[in-house]
Parts: sequence; structure tokens; C-alpha cells
Amino acid sequence: MGELERLRELSRENKSLKSVIEKSISIIQGCSSLEDTRDARIRILGRKGMITAVFEGISKMPEDERPAAGRAGNEFRTLVTALLEEKEKEIEASIHMESRELEGIDITLPGRCPPLGKKHILSKVIDDVVEIFISLGYSVETGPEVELDYYNFEALNTPAYHPARSLQDTFYVKRSDPEREEPDDILLRTHTSPVQIRVMESRKPPLYVISPGKAYRKDEIDATHTAMFFQVEGFAVDRGITMAQLKGTLEVFARKLFGSKRTVRLRPHFFPFTEPSAEVDVSCFACDGAGCSICKHSGWLEILGCGMIDPNVFSHVGYDPEEFSGFAFGMGIERIAMMKYGIEDMRYFYDDNIKFLSRF
Amino acid sequence: MKVSLEWLSEYLKLEVEPEELACMLDLSGTAVDRIIRIGTGLSGVVVGRVVEVQPHPNADSLSVAHVEDGSNVREVVCGAPNLVSGMRTAFALPGARLPAISTSELKRANIRGVASDGMLLSAAELGIGEDTSGIIELGQDVLVGADIHDVLPVEDVVLDLEITPNRPDCMSMIGIAREISALLNLEFNYPEIEIIEDESTYLDSVKVKVGAPGDCQRYTARLVSDVKISPSPSWMQRRLMAAGFRAINNVVDVTNYVLVELGQPLHAFDLERIEGKTIIVRHAERGEVIRTLDGEDRQLDEKSLVIADSSNPVAIAGIMGGENSEVTEQTKNVLIESACFEPTSIYLTSKRFGLRSESSSRFERGTDPIGTSRAARRAAQLISQISGGRIALGEIDIFPGKKESIFVELRPWRLNELLGVEISKTEITNILERLEFKISSGETLNVEVPSFRRDIEREIDLVEEVARIFGYNKIPSDLPKGGRYEAGLSKTGKIEREISNILIAQGLFECISPSFMQNLDLTRLRLPEGHALTKVVTLLNPLSETGECMRTSLMPGLLKIVRHNQNRGNKDLAIFETGRVFFSAEGNKLPIEMDCIGILLSGMASSQHWSVSQREFDFFDLKGIVENILHTLFIGNYSLKKVERPFLKSGRGSMLQVEGKDAGFLGELKSEVVEAYDIKGHVYVAEISTDCLIQAAGEPEHREIGRFPGVKVDISIIVDDGVECERVENIIRANGGELLESVSLFDLYKGTQIPDGMKSLAFSLEFRSFERTLSDEDVNERVDSIVSALERDVGAVLRKKDEGPSGSVRQN
Repeated sequence: MGELERLRELSRENKSLKSVIEKSISIIQGCSSLEDTRDARIRILGRKGMITAVFEGISKMPEDERPAAGRAGNEFRTLVTALLEEKEKEIEASIHMESRELEGIDITLPGRCPPLGKKHILSKVIDDVVEIFISLGYSVETGPEVELDYYNFEALNTPAYHPARSLQDTFYVKRSDPEREEPDDILLRTHTSPVQIRVMESRKPPLYVISPGKAYRKDEIDATHTAMFFQVEGFAVDRGITMAQLKGTLEVFARKLFGSKRTVRLRPHFFPFTEPSAEVDVSCFACDGAGCSICKHSGWLEILGCGMIDPNVFSHVGYDPEEFSGFAFGMGIERIAMMKYGIEDMRYFYDDNIKFLSRF
Repeated sequence: MKVSLEWLSEYLKLEVEPEELACMLDLSGTAVDRIIRIGTGLSGVVVGRVVEVQPHPNADSLSVAHVEDGSNVREVVCGAPNLVSGMRTAFALPGARLPAISTSELKRANIRGVASDGMLLSAAELGIGEDTSGIIELGQDVLVGADIHDVLPVEDVVLDLEITPNRPDCMSMIGIAREISALLNLEFNYPEIEIIEDESTYLDSVKVKVGAPGDCQRYTARLVSDVKISPSPSWMQRRLMAAGFRAINNVVDVTNYVLVELGQPLHAFDLERIEGKTIIVRHAERGEVIRTLDGEDRQLDEKSLVIADSSNPVAIAGIMGGENSEVTEQTKNVLIESACFEPTSIYLTSKRFGLRSESSSRFERGTDPIGTSRAARRAAQLISQISGGRIALGEIDIFPGKKESIFVELRPWRLNELLGVEISKTEITNILERLEFKISSGETLNVEVPSFRRDIEREIDLVEEVARIFGYNKIPSDLPKGGRYEAGLSKTGKIEREISNILIAQGLFECISPSFMQNLDLTRLRLPEGHALTKVVTLLNPLSETGECMRTSLMPGLLKIVRHNQNRGNKDLAIFETGRVFFSAEGNKLPIEMDCIGILLSGMASSQHWSVSQREFDFFDLKGIVENILHTLFIGNYSLKKVERPFLKSGRGSMLQVEGKDAGFLGELKSEVVEAYDIKGHVYVAEISTDCLIQAAGEPEHREIGRFPGVKVDISIIVDDGVECERVENIIRANGGELLESVSLFDLYKGTQIPDGMKSLAFSLEFRSFERTLSDEDVNERVDSIVSALERDVGAVLRKKDEGPSGSVRQN
């Protein structure tokens, strides 16, 4: 409660002070300069001021009324003093303000920035990638991160004894009942490709899908490996999908992400779930293909793996490979972020040092 | 696989530059890791003959050798363990240039008190190989004093290739020659194999039995007798070194040479050390042990395929030989094994022993069952050529896994349809024939697959073959046709993005932490046994860095981020993470995955500034941030209830209920929890289920704003300190009638001016009618009923009613 309110209350409580208080308030409120407040102080609190009259009045009261009246008088003095000080501050501030308005301000003083948050750099890159494919007519789907072997390997045409399936390369979930002889078939997905199978199982072509998410591999952690990483998987299944369309799609993507002058090349490669398969390079955006340290003097940067969906994958989801064809591609988001922003160590992404995060 | 171009020129005439060749291979599926130029800039090195070796007077590990350089004998200090008198080796004279080890020229040196007039070289020092274990041992055929360039093709270009797992046929010189020939439309030749068999040597005495036909498709053996073991000729040594092998002797080197040349792994046994001169391919018996060539004793089991003699295993089939049958300097009669083993069996055994070799890496991908005989003949030819042995008449050949050729139908139009190209039938035929496919052409192509291409079984496999030789870069660019109507983010995706955006807009940093957690985190969070957050999904094979289970909460990750930042001087933190948490599910196969939002505040709420004073974050910052999410998503039906959680300070935790369902919590962490994570200061956290918010999210709705002025009334009441603000606010709303538009608390006071145990709450109420300007009576009536309800329900005392600065009802 402010001083003014309390003063008004005091005047209601002590009829003898009513007129003094009301007069004081009106004097103080009437002040418009520091001269006024100096005069007001003398008039109210000065040796010949109103306060003196008040205490003189109290001394003439009956003895039993004096203590209460004295307390009220003291409170009146305290409140008036505070009110005067407040008024003076107000006047000073307005003088200051007026003079500042006249003088101009030091515009080089730091501005008041509301706190600014940041999207994580990996989220930003994922959004960029996803946005490009949305503009090409793709829908966004996600899937579980803890997966069945069936979706992660088997339905993706991975041979039973593929090294990627080993305990050295893939994280498996411990069986709930160690006595039961179940195969180790629950794992942390090693890529986002299982979404391909899940979507194809639940829907019919045409499918144009992009699926960002986390994947896990049991790599020893160093500058280019982390046990968890982000991938974006994309695929198209329709009548008459061709490898030429895959190539054109990736060209559009590379130019939108890395700049309009980029060219793309496909190198044959091997993946169990696509055939023909390719690794895709984009011409180095730092040197335009001339060769520099970023592209290790090759002029090219590897950005993703892709291919035509293998007919064996279609047979797992009951699609007729004679009727439908499709392409799929997958890229590592960290790798793209590292290339795009010249980040040399993947671990920065997951340390979440605010100083690092605020750079992007 | 390392391919020496000098060696490769044995099979085809290369007229392209190495860089161009590398680029072509790269673009046809054989990735080139590096182009290695060896031997360039080497000078001043001659063939030296070691005349005499004496111990070094001052060093046990060194010797002093007298080496003949063609005209003089020089004294040289050398530490190589294989230094013996009589050997011929690479001898660098003072002034020599050895780019593999130094940029300056070789000088005379004083080594531990003995002057060394030159240097004897290892393959690595010479720059032609990787072997540093001893000095290079040249054949006895080389002329002492000859320049090393005249003896060895020292200068060479080696391509280091990365062969994909589906192409074991490319793990050989011939395989690469075939690829290049297909790419350049160039002739290539297999090595000429002519052998002279000696009818007087018996192969009859040798018996081979394949006891495990499922794991051994073919076993071919040849015998070469009366060999003389010595170093192999320098040309062979140099090629092997360029391919990354160590030269051993003229028999073992031949087996390695043929392995690289033809891709067929071979093994040479000393026949005299094979008991009963009997070879049995069988599975090991439990308890059998073999000491392999690397000196390790290996415990065998029923799953391991071995080569045994009549009593003991003599090799782990396809992976590594045993010491007991190894070719030594005394060996006279060599039995060459050229077999084809089942890839899976080799893969599993090699994995079990953690033992990979040049042989196993080829067998586990699948070798050519037809090629064993040729490789055995080639090895016999080379051994007899360089070690003077006699080749026994005939070969032993057991072929239980013989299969018919595979024929695949290829429809040219289908190929063009899938690739989006127009390649003529003639061109398709040409490409496939250059890869040694046999074609009979009709409307479709009937393609016979060569036995070394175990990867080709279906039409699509042939499509890929044609595409990669035709060139992926000649495929035009196109885009899929047809419209897609479901494009874009799902509703869930949109809301998730909106949540992130509103948090970022409120000054929070998005963080991403690994999805793992340690069991220790459960203890740090003080979770009692059976608590919902202890239902973890445990990993069978975690990494020590990751933690042994999947996270059930975003808190541990966020707290580790706080520690990481505090340790680096970043003390003021407003961070959030959106991500999955995982709970083990009984009955269900897969765990339950839940998307969550974790928010954490710690330190100062604003940065230092010349015009404002700083204050620390508190619970109400957190609450405001969370409420802003709810408002952004148009969720009106929510409430916060006081709640106790094992990790939250008592009386300072709150449960968020959205549409009556538990959606998460907000609160201040217990100091014990904060300390357990080595963090300093107060930490406020919220963790909220994204799904709950998505389900409750509403749509904006337009409501009339009102043309008539509203009336603001401030009331201030004194109530018992235990009465919750929300309760008071609810009473105000319930009694304010439909004219009451908004209620907001603007002051809270406890202190000397009011009695102990009480608090003063000051609310600003705004009344508005959509039909007319409100009169004082309208408002006073409502305020009076509010005040009397407050007096009745929570024992409130009206402290003050303020209807504007000058006593009149304030209008705006």
C-alpha cells in the first residue's frame, strides 16, 4: 500500500488530523518544481510548520489520549517525508527526461534485447530438408525408434548374417525374460528406412514420403561418429517411377539446399534394399568443384545414398513390382550440417554448449 | 584392395592416366579411396650383397654388416633381425634419396660409435610396401651393384579400392581388369597357364575327403614335389608388397600372388607334415585345439569347419593355416589347396575367432566355385617355375556343390522403363558380354550368368549392371509426374513445430541430448522402486559412454547439459528439448514411446543491462512459459494441482492437467538432485507429454471485441495465507456474471501492515457489455456480490475498492 493511501486512512482514523493531512496532500500534489517541494517541506515539516502545530495540539490533550495521538503524529511525519521524497524523484525524473529530450540521447548505449532463443542447428537443417520435399509434394511420416528386426533388416532385404546385424554394430534391447529362448529381435533402429516398410504396409501407392528421425549405431564415439544421429529418409512409390526421376529429384534438392549452381553425380554403390543403388555427390559449394580442403580436393561432397527400391522389399509389403516402382534415399543430417557450416566435430551437436548453439 | 597398375598391365593395355582410370572406376561402383604413387624420387639405391655380419660392439640389438655394392665393400650398421650373410638386399649409398623416410639425402652416420657407410632398406623405407619388420630380401638372380630401378619396377601407381560386399569377383586383378575392359571396351587376357605334369610323381598317395559337403562346395588339390624353398624373385615380391602383402618364401608368395591375381584363396601344406597324407574337410570336435600361423592357440568347436589330416586339424578352413602343417625352409613336397567354402560358415567362424584374413574376406563374400581348378594350375605353374619343383600328374577335385548355370531373362523395354533411358538392345548385349555374361537374344535377352557373379540372380541385378557400365551420369533428369494431395506436415508435426517455435520465441534454446540414460540416473532422481520412471528399456549391448538403458525422462539429459554449460561458465540457462522417452511394456513386443517436452530454467532470468537490475528465474517464469504454450495451442481446459514428486522440492511441485488428464509436471528440483548432477543453484524443470497437448489443441475462434467501453474496478482483499489464489479467482469469476470480462491479480502483499498469517490480494476486474455502456450501478452490484461471496466462502475482508483515481468509476 502506498503512502498516499495510508495517509488517507490515517485521516479517517484520526479526526483531529483530518484537515492537516488533507491540506498536506494537496500541497504536495500541487508541487511542480523542486522549489515547490522545498517550500512544502518548510510549510509542513518545518519548525514553524504544520507538524509543530499538530504536536503542540497533542501536548494539550488528556494524558490517556496522548500516546495514540503521538503515534499517529509520528506516522504522519514519516508518511509526509516519504511522499515528499517520492514527489521530488518524480520531478527530477521529469526534469531529466525533458533535458534528455532536448539534449538527445546516447544512441550507442546497448539496446534492451528481449531474450532470444534458438532452434538447434540440427533441427534447423532437418526443417530445411523437410521443407524442400514438402514443396515437391511429399508428406511427413515418423516411426518408432525402438524397432523390430523385421522392419529394420529383414523386410529391407538384409541377409541373415549381414555384419550390420551383429552386436558390435547394432544396439539390441535386453529380453524381459532371460529364461525364454527368444531371438534378439528388438533393436534401436539403425536407419530411418523402417518407416518405408511401415508406411507401405499401411497405405497404398502413390506414396511420396519424407521421414526425419533419430537412428542409432554402436559406433565408438569420435569426431565423426556418435551412437545416436539423425537421418532423413525419403521415398516415392507410384506407377512408372524411374531412376531418371530419382536423379532429377535429388538435383532439385541439392540446388535448393546448397545453392542453384550445384551439380549432382551418382556413383553406383551397394545397399541391400535398393537396386540399382547409388551414392550421391554434390559439387563442392566452397570451391565450385575446383578442389579445396572441404571436399578433400575432389571437387565433390558425398551427401546421401539412394536407389530404386528392391523388388524383394516390395514383396514383403505385398506390392507387385511389375505394377509399381519406387525410389528411396537417405541422408545423415549431421554430415550435411557439418559440411554446410564447417563444423569439424560431431560431438558439438550433442554437448549443447549454449555458446555453440547461439552461433546458428 | 590395392591394385598395382604395373601388375594390372599384365592383363590389359592401359592407355589412360591413373586419375582418369580412378574416376571411371569410381563412377562404375568401384570406389577409389586413394591413388598411391610409390617409388618416385628414389635414387642412389643399388643391389647390395651382405658379405659378413658381426655384432655391434656397443649395442646388442644392432649388427655391423660388410656389404658389397658392386665395386666396394662398405661397413654398415643395421638392426634388421633377418640380416644374414649372403643375402641380397636394397642398399642405399651415401647421397641416396629416400623420399619414403626423408626429404634430405642420406649421409654417412656414426651409430653408437661405428661409422655406417650407407643403409640397408626395408620395403617401407624403400617406399614400395608396408613391411618394416626387416630388410628386403632380393632373389639370388639379381646382379650385385645394379641400380634398384633396373631390378624392381620401383615406380608404380597403386589404386586403393573399396570393394562393395556384393562384388567379391572384384577382389582380384582379373576382376578389376574385367571391369576396366567393360568400361573402356578393351580386350583383357587371363594369364596363360601351361603346366608340364610329371608322370613319375604320385598324387595317388594323397587322399582327400569332404566330410562337410554343405560347407565345402568344392575342394581341388595339386601336388608339387621337390621344391627348393627360397625367397621369391624380386618382381613377385614387389608386386605382393604393392598389394599390401609381406614376402615370405617362394611357395607362400605364390599362393598369395594367385589369390590377388585370380581372387581364389589358396593354402599350401607341407605334405610330409600331413599325417596319413590324408586331407579331411570336416567340422571340428569340441575340445580340439589348433595353433594358427599367427601363433595363437584356438579352441575349436562343432561349428568350426577345419581341414584335418588323419588325426588333427591342420587349418581353420578358409581362414588361416596351422603351424603344424606350415611350409618351412625344409619343405620338399607342397600340397596346394584350392577350395570353395560356404560364405556363411566362413563368416561366422571368422567372427567367432575375431580372425580375418585375405582368404576369409573373400570366402565370406562368395568365391567362384568354377575357378578353383584354374587357380590350382596357376599356382602349380608358378611354384614349379620359381622353386624348381615337379608338378604331379592330375588334380584331386571333389565338387559336391556343383550347380547348373543361372539364366536370367532381361526385358530391354523393362530396363529402359525403370531407368528412364533409351538404351538399345545391342548396347545392352554389348555391355553384358564385356562383363562375361553369355547372351542369347530373342525379343527378350536370355542371359547366362558367369559362375563368379554370385550376386546376379534376377532381372533387376542385370538392370543395375547395364546402368552402371552405361553410366549413371548419362541417365537424364526428370521429376515424378502426378499430383499429391496429402503433402506437408501432419497435424502432429505442425503442432510439434509450433511448440518449439513458441518456446524459442520466449527465449529458450533448443537442445538435443542422446536418448540414453544410466541406471544411476534413477538414483540421482531419487526414484523409489516401482516408480513409473523406473520402467526402463534396458540395452543388451550398451556402450560405456551411452548408459545402459533408454531414457524415461528428458531430465537427466537436460541436467547433463546444465552441468556441461556451468563447467564452461554458462550459468544462465533457459533450455528445452523435445524428444522421445521410452517405457518397457509388458505383453507388448515393442516398448511404449512417448514424445515429450522438457523445459529447464536456471540462473538469471535476464542478461545484465545498464538500465535494469537482474533477477533469478523462479517457478512463475516456468509456469508462464508453459501457459504460453497452452495459449498458443488454444488449450483452455487446463489446471495446475499441487503435487509431490520424489525429485521436486516439497510444496513446490505442480501437476499439469489438460482436459482432466495428467499431462506432466512443473516444479523446482530438490537440492539433493541438483547436487547429484554436480550442478549449482536453483533448477526449475517441466516435463510435458506432447501427445496430451496435441489431443487437446484447439482452433482459434473469433469473438466480438465489443464497441462499448469497459469498466475497470480494482479490489483488494485480505484472506488467510492458506487460501490459494486460484480459488479466490474462481469465486470472483463465478460471481462476476457475464459482464465480467477479465480478472487479473496485480498485487500480493504480506507484511507489517496486515495481520500475521494473512495476505492481501489485489485484483483488477474488467466489466463490459456488448449492448450498452455500463452504469456505476451495474458494476457496483456485481462487485458487491463478488465481495460478499468472498467474505462468505473464504472469509475475506475487503480492504479496499478502488474505482479509479478520482473516486469515480474508471472507464476505458
